[in-house]
Amino acid sequence: MATRSVCLFLQRRFASAAAAVRPPPSEVRSQRNAIFSREQARQRALYPRIEKIEVSMQGPGLDGTLLIMNKGMSTPLSCARHLTEHHVNNSVLALVDGELWPLHQPLTHSCTLTLLTFKDSDPTLVNQAYWRSCSALLGQVLETAFKDEYTVDLLNTPEVPVTSGAFCCDVVLDSQLDSWTASEEALRSLTRGAQQLIHQDLAWEPLEVMPSVALEVFSHSSVKQEEVEQKAADSPKGTVLLYRCGDHVLLSGGPLVARTGLCSQYEVTALHSLGEGPRGLHRRAQGLSLPLQLQAHHTVWRKLRKRAEKLIEVPRSEATPTSPADSTQPTTTQ
Amino acid sequence: MRLTLQMLISHGRVARKMGLGPQSRINMLRNILTGLVRHERIETTWARADEVRFYAEKLIDYAKKGDTDEKAMKMASFWLTEKDLVPKLFKVLAPRFETQSNSYTRMARLPNRQNLDRAKMAVLEYKGNPFPPLYPVKKENELTLINQLLRGYREDRAKQLAAKA
Repeated sequence: MATRSVCLFLQRRFASAAAAVRPPPSEVRSQRNAIFSREQARQRALYPRIEKIEVSMQGPGLDGTLLIMNKGMSTPLSCARHLTEHHVNNSVLALVDGELWPLHQPLTHSCTLTLLTFKDSDPTLVNQAYWRSCSALLGQVLETAFKDEYTVDLLNTPEVPVTSGAFCCDVVLDSQLDSWTASEEALRSLTRGAQQLIHQDLAWEPLEVMPSVALEVFSHSSVKQEEVEQKAADSPKGTVLLYRCGDHVLLSGGPLVARTGLCSQYEVTALHSLGEGPRGLHRRAQGLSLPLQLQAHHTVWRKLRKRAEKLIEVPRSEATPTSPADSTQPTTTQ
Repeated sequence: MRLTLQMLISHGRVARKMGLGPQSRINMLRNILTGLVRHERIETTWARADEVRFYAEKLIDYAKKGDTDEKAMKMASFWLTEKDLVPKLFKVLAPRFETQSNSYTRMARLPNRQNLDRAKMAVLEYKGNPFPPLYPVKKENELTLINQLLRGYREDRAKQLAAKA
């Protein structure tokens, strides 16, 4: 018994090695928020003079539209506001000179702009971004759902394709909660938390920062710090992408959609345990969501929901390229 | 043969009485049908459009026999008052409907005429014409989010059924 408690104690010590004592979550949140606001203000101050850029719009019915916008201040959303209400409400992401651009990110140069929606002829990129944002929202709900005395660590969220049927979010809960399993009521209360965020229609504000700032933001979480370093090493520019939604600051692997109000049907379907990991019991929360523009009939929704309860196997990126090579070898020898 | 009570009472006289008599009716329908073959979409009163529709479909059936067929040629030269349309009927319209065996035309209601008579109006067209569609085209996109989810669901179901069998 004594050894076990010592082990637990040591584990706790190591888990929060960066900060010896973890402050309460509300304090952590406000601190992250403050750093985010400070960095955002600094980046905005980089353009003290108002300079004009020319944005030529592309899209059905918009060819030849030229907008004169402010450099470092106007976002694709402000371009949409110059068009129609339909563009404001239905735009999910923007395509600036052929690369994905979050809707709230200020434009920095003259460019061509395409507003992407869920009903485009090829909405694959938008779907991926939507799935990513839904799992970000799930992470946000999980972080705020528990009482202050339980710590919640969000792990690196695996990217799952839309056809797998559900988005997921990996999480490590406090070791006191190891025996806890999520009941139906618990899942429903998580769903309600997400619905409240959706109802508030919060914007996902993007901010591209240097890793040092991101490390400062996540100074209380060693998991996130490792993730920041990994992401910074992977990205060609050496920067990482932070997002803020309400008062929650998160690290993202790619662009997210414009605002939470784009989701309409949203449900947390399951909370599976993945077994013991290096930081404690890994759990995987899963959910299903559909945007406001593409709602499902309740019979279809029930079928999709039932499928979303099954545990998603995240494919290992290293294992997949070798298997086709193995399968081709016998055919060549024959 | 009795389809409806009205058909029983009419003693087989199902065609409308229009114009100044049977001959006048035929001439009127000939003129409208010639206009239809020339423009491929025409606007007329609903009753006339409905009456012409039968002859327009029948004419295509004859045209499909080919321009060497005597009966077909006779029909074409009777129903088309402007003779420069005869080659169009055999060379353009007949090949267009080769794969179909019926319903070559489409009819849609229009608002009543704003004239004194407030006649019921309709638009009649041959299918496959180059004009913008009468009804909005329903867009089928396999790549939207919900269709992708449903595709995944179907694949899962197929896999389960295959595993069971």
